Amino acid sequence: MTAAAERASRKLVIEPGVTLRSLSEEVSGHVLRPQAPRWWWIGFGFSLALLVVLAVAVIYLFVNGIGVWGVNIPVAWGLAIAEYVWWIALASGGTIVSALFYLTRAPWRSATNRIAETMMLCAAASAGIMPILHLGRPGFFYWLFPYSNVMGVWPQFRSPLLWDFVCLLCYILMSVMFYYVGLLPDVATVRDLAKTRPKQILYGILALGWRGSARHWRRHQTVYFIMCAIMAPMVISVHSVVGLDFAGGLTPGWHSTQFPPYFFFGAVISGLALVIMLTLLIRRGYRLQQIITEYHINAMSKVMLVGSVMLAYSYVWEAWGPFYGGDIAERTEFVDSISGLYAASYWAKIVLNAAVPQLLWLPAVRRNEILLFCIAAGIIVGMWLERFVIVIPSLHRDYMPSYWGDYAPTLWDWAILAGSIGLFLALFFLLLRLLPIVSMSEMRAIIDKREAE
Amino acid sequence: MSGPFGVIAVFETAEAAVEAARRLRALGFRALEAYTPYPVEELDAVMPLRRRSLLPLLIFAGAIIGACCGYFIQYWAEALDYPINVGGRPYNSWPAFVVSTFEVTVLFALAAGFFGLLASCRLPRLYHPIFAAEGFERASRDRFVLCIEASDPSYQSGLLRRTFERCGATRIAEVPG
Repeated sequence: MTAAAERASRKLVIEPGVTLRSLSEEVSGHVLRPQAPRWWWIGFGFSLALLVVLAVAVIYLFVNGIGVWGVNIPVAWGLAIAEYVWWIALASGGTIVSALFYLTRAPWRSATNRIAETMMLCAAASAGIMPILHLGRPGFFYWLFPYSNVMGVWPQFRSPLLWDFVCLLCYILMSVMFYYVGLLPDVATVRDLAKTRPKQILYGILALGWRGSARHWRRHQTVYFIMCAIMAPMVISVHSVVGLDFAGGLTPGWHSTQFPPYFFFGAVISGLALVIMLTLLIRRGYRLQQIITEYHINAMSKVMLVGSVMLAYSYVWEAWGPFYGGDIAERTEFVDSISGLYAASYWAKIVLNAAVPQLLWLPAVRRNEILLFCIAAGIIVGMWLERFVIVIPSLHRDYMPSYWGDYAPTLWDWAILAGSIGLFLALFFLLLRLLPIVSMSEMRAIIDKREAE
Repeated sequence: MSGPFGVIAVFETAEAAVEAARRLRALGFRALEAYTPYPVEELDAVMPLRRRSLLPLLIFAGAIIGACCGYFIQYWAEALDYPINVGGRPYNSWPAFVVSTFEVTVLFALAAGFFGLLASCRLPRLYHPIFAAEGFERASRDRFVLCIEASDPSYQSGLLRRTFERCGATRIAEVPG
């Protein structure tokens, strides 16, 4: 292939060989085939094993109480809170890919949005369990709901922690509806291709009788557009409010006006990193190279790079603020976080989230799948470390030196982390097997446009 | 047993289906419906005029109702039913209520869109006569289907079949009633 032809092929949103028919049959075929591929069983089995770890860790936690973790006074927020923020950022990143880039009409969004949305649902599930596990008395979690009760009390709506609860609840409900509306026409395709009776009934019910009539499509397009326009600011608000959980507290290192955008930038970079990892794997596993081309990977890498640059800006601000502000506690906390007990985590997050991703400026790196996968995986780890550095070092260097203390996660902390990854993966593998992973109806419109040219 | 539900014609390309729909409209058919694997904008222009969709208005109404409910429940709890003095802040401390109000607003708006979409598409409706037509199942994959329903005043099976054939339909079938 000549250099010019190679350059042109990199710009293809879809390979020329893909037709309406091959697209539908290939994508639906993965859902309908009777036997899942071996890698699916290996991955699903591995996730189920981790899910068992979660079950054991949660039962042990509920029986023995929160003392089985490393949390103490003063470090009363442990890994579960850091992981809550981590998971909700991953979920938010999925919504950003799907909703924000629908509004900008980015052509690469159509082949990857279902992966991003599936990821968003699964990550939201893993995020959702964390705050409940971290309650001292998880059996009373329903006290967060404003309901009329015999005690005559109401939740405190002025608290950022309650805002967060409202956000998470609304976000999960909205994500499910948003996902389902986008999915509906594709489930109808699977229904029409299904050969066995149980599958015809299952997908027949899921498709709700979608017929793809002109009237259906027009309403679908109207509503889907408005839904995207709602979801985009919604997801920014969700992750900003997670930032406010911290900014609303007076703890040094938390009480900062930059937290809401800082958290949102983290959601952009970590969400994109996970979408890229999943896309690279699914593309290989399902041999979707014709539908998810180099163009998609390249475009998403660029967005991830933008996320990294924005996050690097926040890191600079985070370092500059304590010295400009002149608060001695803020300064002590910051100096401790870069040179104290948790300094390794701090510097690792700088390297993994801000320094290494700068390699993405080079087109050759964006084209190298293995390198790209490693950078993305590094960002996922780096974002976990960032949440750790936000939650723990601040609490361990509070205002009063007499109130200083250390924190070390126990085995049960790590078990919850492993288990939440298991929950995410198990849900993801199930949805990958049961529902089409590429938005066929949107890809058809792209094929149609290509043929018109 | 009543008569057939209508006649469908299957086209290979969107352009052929649009052209056929245009011709049928010119012949005066009104009970025309198109079934396509993806939204085809040109078809919208040809299809018989329907009243404008009220869905955007419905979503807006959902947002307003959500905003009122979201704010009221906080006002009720914090100012009326269970007032607590938090650092001397007013009981109706609206800036602290804005975030939750926003979330409930967008939740109600999105839910209004979701349920409004289903209602206006008359879904869920698991069975529809059109599903029984031969060749219809490909309308969700790679074919473009036009249907003239028997309720059309100028419905006439023979004329329809001839018109469809002239427009290049690859398959014409009767939809059992």
